[in-house]
Amino acid sequence: VSNPHARAAFTDSDTADEAVRATCDDATTCKRFATSKGYWKDPYMQYFARSVGERKAPEINRGYYARVQGMNHLLDAFIRKTECDCQVINLGAGLDTTFWRLKEENLLPRKFFEIDFPTVVARKIHNIKKKPPLSKPIIETHSTDSLLLDAHSLDSDRYCIIGADLRDISTLDQKLKKFQLNQELPTMLLSECVLVYMTPSHSSNIIHWAAESFHTAMFINYEQVNMSDRFGQVMIENLQRRQCNLAGVEACQSLESQKERFLKSGWEHADALDMMTVYSMLPQEDVARIERLEFLDEKELLHQLLQHYSICWATKDKLNLGISYITLFLLIVFASPPFTNKL
Amino acid sequence: FLIDFSEQKNKDYENAIKYYSEALELNPSNAIYYSNRSLAYLRTECYGYALADATKALEIDKNYIKGYYRRATSNMALGKFKAALKDYETVVRVRPNDKDAKMKYQECNKIVKQKAFERAIASDEIKKSVVDSLDIENMTIEDDYVGPKLEDGNVTVKFMEEMMEWFKDQKKLHRKCAYQILVQVKDLLAKLPSLVEITLKETEKITICGDTHGQFYDLLNIFKLNGLPSESNPYLFNGDFVDRGSFSVEVILTLFGFKLLYPNDFHLLRGNHETDNMNQMYGFEGEVKAKYTAQMFQLFSEVFQWLPLAQCINNKVLIMHGGLFSEDGITLDDLRKIERNRQPPDSGPMCDLLWSDPQPQSGRSISKRGVSCQFGPDVTERFLEQNKLDYIVRSHEVKAEGYEVTHSGKCVTVFSAPNYCDQMGNKGAYIHLRGADLKPEFHQFTAVPHPNVKPMAYANTLMQLGMM
Repeated sequence: VSNPHARAAFTDSDTADEAVRATCDDATTCKRFATSKGYWKDPYMQYFARSVGERKAPEINRGYYARVQGMNHLLDAFIRKTECDCQVINLGAGLDTTFWRLKEENLLPRKFFEIDFPTVVARKIHNIKKKPPLSKPIIETHSTDSLLLDAHSLDSDRYCIIGADLRDISTLDQKLKKFQLNQELPTMLLSECVLVYMTPSHSSNIIHWAAESFHTAMFINYEQVNMSDRFGQVMIENLQRRQCNLAGVEACQSLESQKERFLKSGWEHADALDMMTVYSMLPQEDVARIERLEFLDEKELLHQLLQHYSICWATKDKLNLGISYITLFLLIVFASPPFTNKL
Repeated sequence: FLIDFSEQKNKDYENAIKYYSEALELNPSNAIYYSNRSLAYLRTECYGYALADATKALEIDKNYIKGYYRRATSNMALGKFKAALKDYETVVRVRPNDKDAKMKYQECNKIVKQKAFERAIASDEIKKSVVDSLDIENMTIEDDYVGPKLEDGNVTVKFMEEMMEWFKDQKKLHRKCAYQILVQVKDLLAKLPSLVEITLKETEKITICGDTHGQFYDLLNIFKLNGLPSESNPYLFNGDFVDRGSFSVEVILTLFGFKLLYPNDFHLLRGNHETDNMNQMYGFEGEVKAKYTAQMFQLFSEVFQWLPLAQCINNKVLIMHGGLFSEDGITLDDLRKIERNRQPPDSGPMCDLLWSDPQPQSGRSISKRGVSCQFGPDVTERFLEQNKLDYIVRSHEVKAEGYEVTHSGKCVTVFSAPNYCDQMGNKGAYIHLRGADLKPEFHQFTAVPHPNVKPMAYANTLMQLGMM
């Protein structure tokens, strides 16, 4: 893949990339609004988005709630099972605050890597430098007085953020190794609404690279699913009008297709659930609490939304840590005793 | 004689009353007897008698402190807190070391203050109509406004055509015209009963539309497909005209304009989104405030309260936005009698009309919405039979095909906002009802393009395109 930074003219693909980068703002403002309403706690969002901004529809807030709860459940379970002796790579992390949450909850992996486009990373680094609540936890967990810092990367003992193009996997691999990526450690890879913006060939490279690089790992992918129906088509058209191409939507046909892309690329196990199911499996007391936060006038809007997103998690477990038992099938887990002590 | 009040049961108090009464016959100027009988009356909850006796005791002896105590207690029991406070004040003044008196005084004082506060708030909230504070006559229309104006203060066909064109070009109607429309339509709607009853002659037909939710360009498309409203092309719009879509102001002013133009042939029923709670959350209030003022939104709110709740055609077809009732036995007469000029209550027939949904299984269930109920085919059957109706038409739920027939044809849903929220990809539909046979004929339509509204406080918020 030619170096995208070498291009002088603003091409169509630059426009597409720009639109993808802009989705970082969507996620940030939605999470900012939802947390301000009390859907979940995230005291770090405010350092990336100062004002709460315009209100979002209740179904959007509930959708993000389910996403955050689902992703966090799997991530935290992995970290606990490996007793923090692991690393996390957040692909297309945007302005995500997970590192700071894990630090606060004493669940920090050995190292937390974040990757995104250089301009997004530059923004994030700027915020980190400016806000002590963001920089302190990084400085505290660093052994020396100085961090490695340039315009598009920041490296410390426990936190590393790298500006890179995920479609250029060899450069990414180089940079990660430069910043002490440990291929022997159990590794968690996260991607939330990232793979869908690149071609199936590009995302397949990433999935394959991850399987080749780590012998004990989990890869969690959150994005669209069931996209061949009317709702999916309308979403594709809407996003196209915003110059946002779902270039990878082919893999989003069904839960099967989401799992298949991992199983055919070297991953041992894969499971996927649509967010409607995840929503029904989350602790229902808390779900009842968030449903009381805002009245939803048309439940069908939420159902359609949830049915068109999924979490897929794939594992490989050379170290036999029991990683494949980490699951979002929460109700089933609690119902079958043999599994409970493995978690 | 002495009676130990500390361990009296009711029977003993009754005896006490009897004995004190006998004693008072023999000795009518004894303050103590009156005071003690007052206590006995308090214990037996005869507060009026207790008050009378305490008052009498004080008439006889204005320095009898116990008398003030008794009178205060009686007044407290009767809810006359200000009067009670005065007497407690007296006791506390004369007996500054009496802890019990002081405590009772403070308690009473708290209650009096609380009630004064509540009264103050209540009087703030009693809404005078916005109309009273408007001077529409003297609102001036600037010279550079080239948009539609009412003709001699009236809505005309020409005005409606110009206004729809003006709106289509995303221009704003002058606030004076908007106020004129609102004030007139409020007066018109206020004269209607809560249940509107019309007769459709054999040769006549009516078009029934469901939710439109601020989708102005789709509304224009309905008029294009089905013809503009007129005396010979009557319409009924079944609620939820505003919220969610970005052009709620345009939709509602158009619908209100036609109501004024064809009062007997253009019908509007209230939906659950014609309420303050929904408007606050789902965009209409924000849109009105952005395009006009908060005061205008207040007026919209008042007008919405006068929208009728149901319509009956030829005594055979009943139309309402939500559905049927949480309990059996509701009659058309009950609906006529509903005092609707208010925000809907949390429960009851007015709430159900705006909020309920049909369900496939028999009986009733708690609504998934958290308000009102879900009603089964047997409920529909019983209601129709009791009221000698053929079927009901309702809206309120988005349907992929724009309409749905359930309960063996007795419950029809029609929804007229295609590609709802720019996301659902659903069709819209409307119903043709002919006086000749009163059988619903369904017409479907798909969404038409609309302008991308610039990000504004009300608009873009609800245009989030899913998770990113």
